[in-house]
Amino acid sequence: MSPTPLIETSALTKRFGRATALDGLDLSVSDGEVHGFLGPNGAGKSTTIRVLLGLIRRTSGSAHVFGLDPWTDAQMIHRDLAYVPGDVSLWPGLTGGEAIDLLTSLRGGADPQRRAELIEAFELDPRKKARTYSKGNRQKVALIAAFARPARLYIFDEPSSGLDPVMESVFRQQVLRARAEGATVLLSSHVLSEVEQLCDRVTIIRDGVVVESGSLDELRHLSRTSFRVAGIADVDAVRSITGVHDVHAVGGSVEFEVDSDAIPAVLAAVAQQRATAVTAAPASLESLFLRHYSVTR
Amino acid sequence: MRAFLTILGTQLRRDRWVLSFWIAGIAVFGLAVAAAIAGQFADEADRAAIVAISVANPAIVFARGLPDGSSLGGVAFFTGFAFTAVLAGLMSTFLVVRHSRADEETGRAELLGATPIARSTTLAATIVLGALANLVLVALLAAAYVAGGLPLEGSLTAALAVGGVGLVFVSVAAVVAQAMPSGRGANGASSALVVGAYLLRGIGDALGTPSDDLMRVTPSAISWLSPIGWGQATRPYTEPTLLPLLLSLAAFVVLSGWAIALRSSRDLGSSLVPERTGRATARLGGRSVVGLAWRLQRATLLGWLAGSVVLGGLAGGLAPVIAEAVADNASLSALIARLTPGGSGDTTEVFIAALLGIGGILAGAAGVQAVLRLRAEEAEGRAELLLATPVSRVAWVGATSLVAAASVIIVTLAMGLATGAALFRSGGAADDVLTYAGAGLAHAPAALVFVAVTALIFAVAPRVTIALGWGLLVIGFVLGQFGELLQVPEWLQAVSPFFHTSAAPVVELDVVAVFVLLGVSAAGVAVALVALRRRDLTT
Repeated sequence: MSPTPLIETSALTKRFGRATALDGLDLSVSDGEVHGFLGPNGAGKSTTIRVLLGLIRRTSGSAHVFGLDPWTDAQMIHRDLAYVPGDVSLWPGLTGGEAIDLLTSLRGGADPQRRAELIEAFELDPRKKARTYSKGNRQKVALIAAFARPARLYIFDEPSSGLDPVMESVFRQQVLRARAEGATVLLSSHVLSEVEQLCDRVTIIRDGVVVESGSLDELRHLSRTSFRVAGIADVDAVRSITGVHDVHAVGGSVEFEVDSDAIPAVLAAVAQQRATAVTAAPASLESLFLRHYSVTR
Repeated sequence: MRAFLTILGTQLRRDRWVLSFWIAGIAVFGLAVAAAIAGQFADEADRAAIVAISVANPAIVFARGLPDGSSLGGVAFFTGFAFTAVLAGLMSTFLVVRHSRADEETGRAELLGATPIARSTTLAATIVLGALANLVLVALLAAAYVAGGLPLEGSLTAALAVGGVGLVFVSVAAVVAQAMPSGRGANGASSALVVGAYLLRGIGDALGTPSDDLMRVTPSAISWLSPIGWGQATRPYTEPTLLPLLLSLAAFVVLSGWAIALRSSRDLGSSLVPERTGRATARLGGRSVVGLAWRLQRATLLGWLAGSVVLGGLAGGLAPVIAEAVADNASLSALIARLTPGGSGDTTEVFIAALLGIGGILAGAAGVQAVLRLRAEEAEGRAELLLATPVSRVAWVGATSLVAAASVIIVTLAMGLATGAALFRSGGAADDVLTYAGAGLAHAPAALVFVAVTALIFAVAPRVTIALGWGLLVIGFVLGQFGELLQVPEWLQAVSPFFHTSAAPVVELDVVAVFVLLGVSAAGVAVALVALRRRDLTT
């Protein structure tokens, strides 16, 4: 990992009139990693990405991409960057092929062979007018344009929201190929399996601030472990331990959640109570996200 | 029925501001014209003189309307009706397309189409909304005319004549919306039909027969091909009759029925003009921002080009015919000789200069439309895609401004060339082609100012670009055509760039004014480019 991050923001703030979209956001994406960027709708993901692209100007704080200021050096940054917005809008009168050629030419031109491969892999008919494309097909056009010319940094804003599962897997292959070629990827997504399979590290934001950041393993560590234990006589012996939550009986067993630092105490108690069966599972990503997404404001 | 009313209510609510502005704007214009005539030409003899001059000059008849007597109302109707009718027509076509093809394109129609309503319910509601809007317009306009000092019966007839034109174009747009594949295409085609109706009655009126006392013109049969011609035939302030409006009503019923039948039997999203497949790869020209700007403007430019060539052809082709008609009419030629002692006011040249002035507005519209596309690109998210590549905002807006300027020059030049060519065909000198090409081009600098101002608005206040861009052009047009009549102070008239355009070939070209206008345009675009670098992309 390079010492200077490829993307770095600190105390990044963006206000639209009175509304605060970003409220001191610290994001760091290292060279060569696939970084998941997560958060509920309206958390500020797209706003962050637009600041990083120099499309909107930050109110305060700092933001750097490739060590450059995205507002003043936008063009320089865009030479090494490929972007796919969440809601792709194309020129209605241009065909998909023409839109791909336009976008790649502006970045310096596509590799024709790679362009052809991508069109085949994504099963796109490039002769159709963009007006007639569905959401998924418009997204494919933008994805093909992004991958058809190798970039140092790829930024995807919910790229697979209109794609079918087969196309999602094509997309994942392309991301993995880009990473193998040494590129860095910032991926905003709601598809947990996608995040789990692709991302080295993730950042979760809510209401314009980062609430969690780290590798998936680290995040799991921070979250609770689910226990299912059979044969305990005195449930209160477990319930009374600090760090045990949500205790309830299911059939002949007891289920509960345990904070990671309470695990030794719980294991001791379970052993003492002569449990007959124990299952412990790390928090699923889903429960991790649900916890962060649904905390009442 | 309930669903129908709900949809009608929703459409009405969505349009409450737009329609209020249109209706109030047209009524205020009607009031201003009526009051201006009553104030400036209170004397019957003055009015008789102005009508006689107009009858003697087919260029005025073509551009303005059909002279019909020297009463206050007659002069007001002659002066304002055709333009008011065009406004009512545009209000109606934009209204219908907004709720039909444009909604279908954006997918809103799909959402409504999944509810338990008939396929044609939405269109029927839109047609009823259009009819209601024109009804309100008739009431307000009649009140405005009366308030301006015109007699009641005539005012009511005149307002109904305007409403009749609006009603016809409600149904015309409803049919066009079924045929065209996009909202933009439907708007373009139906506004072209409105302008066509104006030109058609212009030709018919200019070729009409002047009465011996020079107080009125009986239009030729061509005027009866235009809904605006039907409106004029009601002769509100001389021999009012509503009979010609039966034609408008019949056209409305037949065309609306046809549109509803078309809508009931076709698939959602399909159109008579089908979408074809295109190229799988871009041509070399389609790989740059200039290429893109050109590509986006191309089809629209062809439309403006066709309009300007037709207008130029009319100017050049009709001018000799009209000059001949004037020469044949003893009282007319006597009047013209009296008006232009130096003989510089050759009927041919005056007629052509008046039409070239309208060509300047067309060119301005072509340029402004190119710049307005920037706003659509931004609001619909395509600018985001484009500006995330190494294209600077300056390059993006600069390329578009370049294409806009080229559009202005192409349209003015084409209009001048078409005029000259048509004159040459009907026995003019070969020199005329060059002379009139230059005369057409003389209108480009003023039109370019509108391009620059629109770019500036886009850079500073993106959300109001489209409304202000078109609005300023309309104000420029009204100041140019009606500024004198409405007694707008000269300094205010001078605000309009078109005020400074030389009406070549009648007047010699004012070179200083040309350079000032070009300088203002260049400065405007430059400031826009700087200002644009300071703002957020705004959807």
